[in-house]
Amino acid sequence: MPRLLRHTLLILLPLVAALALAPALYGNHLLLFNVIVFLTLAQGINIIYGFTGYLPFGYVGFFGAGAYGFALAVMHLHALPLVALAAGGLAALLLGVLLTPLLRLSGAYFSIANLAAALAVLQIVSNPALESVTKGPYGISLSGVFDPALAYGVALAILAATTFLVIWLRHSRFGMALQAIREDAISAAMAGIDVVRGRVVAWLLAALVAGLTGSVYAWYISVFYPETVFGGEITIFAIVFALFGGTATILGPILGVVILYGIYNAIGISAPQYFQLIYGLLIMGLVLFLPNGLASLLRRRGIDVP
Amino acid sequence: MSPEPPLLSVDGLVKRFGGFRALDGLSFHLNPGEILGLVGPNGSGKTTCINVISGLYAPDGGGVRFAGRAIGGLPSHRLVHLGINRTFQVPKPFLSLTVRENVAVADGYGRNPRGPVDIDTLLATLDLRPVAERRAAELNSAQQKMLDLARALATGPRLLLIDELAAGLNPAELDRVAVQIKEIARSGVALLVVEHLMGFIGEITDRVIVMNAGKEIFEGVMADAIQDKRVVEVFLGGEDEG
Amino acid sequence: MLTYTLLAGLLFGLYFSLVGLGLNLIFGVMRIVNLAHGDFVMLGAFLAFWLFNLFALNPIPSLVVAAALFLLAGLPLYYLVVPRLLRARDPEMLSFILFFGFSQVIEALAAIAFGTSERSIPGGALARAVAAGAAFLGVAYTPGPIALFGQSFPIAWAASGITGTLAVLLVWAYLYRTRIGALTRAVMVSREEAISTGIDVHRVSAIAFGVGLALAAVAGVLAPFMLGSITPAMGVDVTITSFAVIVIGSLGNPLGTVLGGLVYGVSYMFMQSYYSSWANLLPYLLLIAVLLLRPAGLLGRQVRRA
Repeated sequence: MPRLLRHTLLILLPLVAALALAPALYGNHLLLFNVIVFLTLAQGINIIYGFTGYLPFGYVGFFGAGAYGFALAVMHLHALPLVALAAGGLAALLLGVLLTPLLRLSGAYFSIANLAAALAVLQIVSNPALESVTKGPYGISLSGVFDPALAYGVALAILAATTFLVIWLRHSRFGMALQAIREDAISAAMAGIDVVRGRVVAWLLAALVAGLTGSVYAWYISVFYPETVFGGEITIFAIVFALFGGTATILGPILGVVILYGIYNAIGISAPQYFQLIYGLLIMGLVLFLPNGLASLLRRRGIDVP
Repeated sequence: MSPEPPLLSVDGLVKRFGGFRALDGLSFHLNPGEILGLVGPNGSGKTTCINVISGLYAPDGGGVRFAGRAIGGLPSHRLVHLGINRTFQVPKPFLSLTVRENVAVADGYGRNPRGPVDIDTLLATLDLRPVAERRAAELNSAQQKMLDLARALATGPRLLLIDELAAGLNPAELDRVAVQIKEIARSGVALLVVEHLMGFIGEITDRVIVMNAGKEIFEGVMADAIQDKRVVEVFLGGEDEG
Repeated sequence: MLTYTLLAGLLFGLYFSLVGLGLNLIFGVMRIVNLAHGDFVMLGAFLAFWLFNLFALNPIPSLVVAAALFLLAGLPLYYLVVPRLLRARDPEMLSFILFFGFSQVIEALAAIAFGTSERSIPGGALARAVAAGAAFLGVAYTPGPIALFGQSFPIAWAASGITGTLAVLLVWAYLYRTRIGALTRAVMVSREEAISTGIDVHRVSAIAFGVGLALAAVAGVLAPFMLGSITPAMGVDVTITSFAVIVIGSLGNPLGTVLGGLVYGVSYMFMQSYYSSWANLLPYLLLIAVLLLRPAGLLGRQVRRA
């Protein structure tokens, strides 16, 4: 059986089935929804960081752009939720296209420029001068389209598509080409790979994933402020989950979300600063002791992590 | 001179870095199956020449024609698809991929006109078969150089630019590489070889170009080059300056 | 109005040079990105706040206390973290993530220790300290705004401008007039060659690291007067601003920071005066624009990958 099919059956199907059944067994639906959101975002980080080496510190910018794209389409165009969802994805894609020049920057410069870009988008969206368009800092209410059950299902579908995308990247020629670019862009070009196109495609895929997730998030919670959907902690969450599990793998980000988000909720830390402290320490510990994530621990013992 | 146009012709090539002219009007040509050596002191522009032909830098003046078409300034992957490839002075394999995956990527994207290569055979000819499933990071530097060559060959080049493949190899390895390079040329590939080891260059090349300060100062066979007054001067002068 | 804006911009520019100086020094010497820079500025600000509230210590002497404390704290911190990082395959990126985690830890600890409410130091405190200093030097000064070319400015702006200038001069003297400074410049040019000539690179770097933190702390002491009220969460914005300043000037060239600071300060003041509702966008857009259009800064170094 080809590995693409095997991993779809053994990883994707159980994951989706579990999350589809979970609301019937567990009462905290918001928590389950957040798990889906972070599973998707962590895989989005995986696509751009794991496969190309660009670490997007402003990843939340796409999430927020998606949320606002959704909200504006509903508020101003009275679009149906599924149409507005496409508008949210499109908004994130457009932002991604606008930011493609950032890919010319290396390592840390890319990350810091991307962070600045996300903060700039937040400044624009939350500017009181744009109140008539975005409601500025006063927040958005979309109670007219509120439908958490359907939104949950759509979010699950987006997660399934994203996870499948990662499985495909893991086993396709294109995914290997992206990894070659990550390892050495010049050699990759000398292997015949169009380096610019590879990076741009991965970048836009990651943007689209976050944009759609942001859209469905806006739909699900339906009342939010600019800081809710542009909050830096969303990026931090997604990056830590992906790094903890191990990037450029299918299972790594899933393990990261299940373990860390699970622990976070089990402890039930109410004060955000304690949470921030633990995550900060976790990031430092990861860099110093486990730079390639949990997956590398298993791989060192000869266990292949899909 | 054959009536057929050469595979590669370089005409008055100029490459500047700031005020420094790394290439200052270099011209030469290369035919299929020929091995041309490029020698000269450090900083004379040999590697820059390879970098421009392989699309790493766009030329600032002059032209490069390959198989009859102007290629100066095309991106590297397009040149690879046209049939140009190279190795690197410091090999640059994809470290976290396996040896087999390294070659498979080039096989998949290189548009080899002869179709997909048999990766096992290619690895075997370069003595990499036993390490095929190892990650490239685990290879020693001689093996990494061979992997660099394997990656280049997998794309089925008609022109191969070799940048100091022999440096750091032991005599036995050198002999093998010499045989392999001649073998590649015999299959019709044109080779441009940059090398510091004069004995090695003399053994494998049909013709050499001696460069100094971005210009050609001698063209002919190696045996004549070492008799040439300007060439001797450049090399002795180069040693004076360290 | 124009003269006022220009002069105010230059005063702020000198202060912003001070804000960016430490970040650039550390980057120049170690090629590591201290993403927690803004958080050290924040800690300096809180130090000044507590010194003022607990011991009634004026901000001017606090400058010296902060510089000394952070210099001393920097040395062990360097040996704890940096040598380990520099051995890694990609120290720039790794340090970036590590200090990002560190920044989260500092912010969280500060929030736990100081609470999240906004704090400030009354401006009169600074004026009294300046008056005492002026009396000591025998210069006539009555507390209140000071006049410069017929325009009147808050005393804090002048004090910050002077402190910024002094800091730049001291860094210049440290780099160009001391033995350790000469060694530091050697390390900045080439770490490998410095090692091979027998320079104790770690000692040189540790001192530069301490000086970098001390500069951040000094900028922090003045932050309550220049950047508005202080909170544990202010670090991210300060880091981004510092990045904008040093990228405009020249990455890795500490004295180039002055140019970046002045350009930044003047543009900031013009934005405040003429487009105040969009002034907050400036650091982000300026940072992205300079990275893309003039990646080496106005004076310096390559940051592009391909």
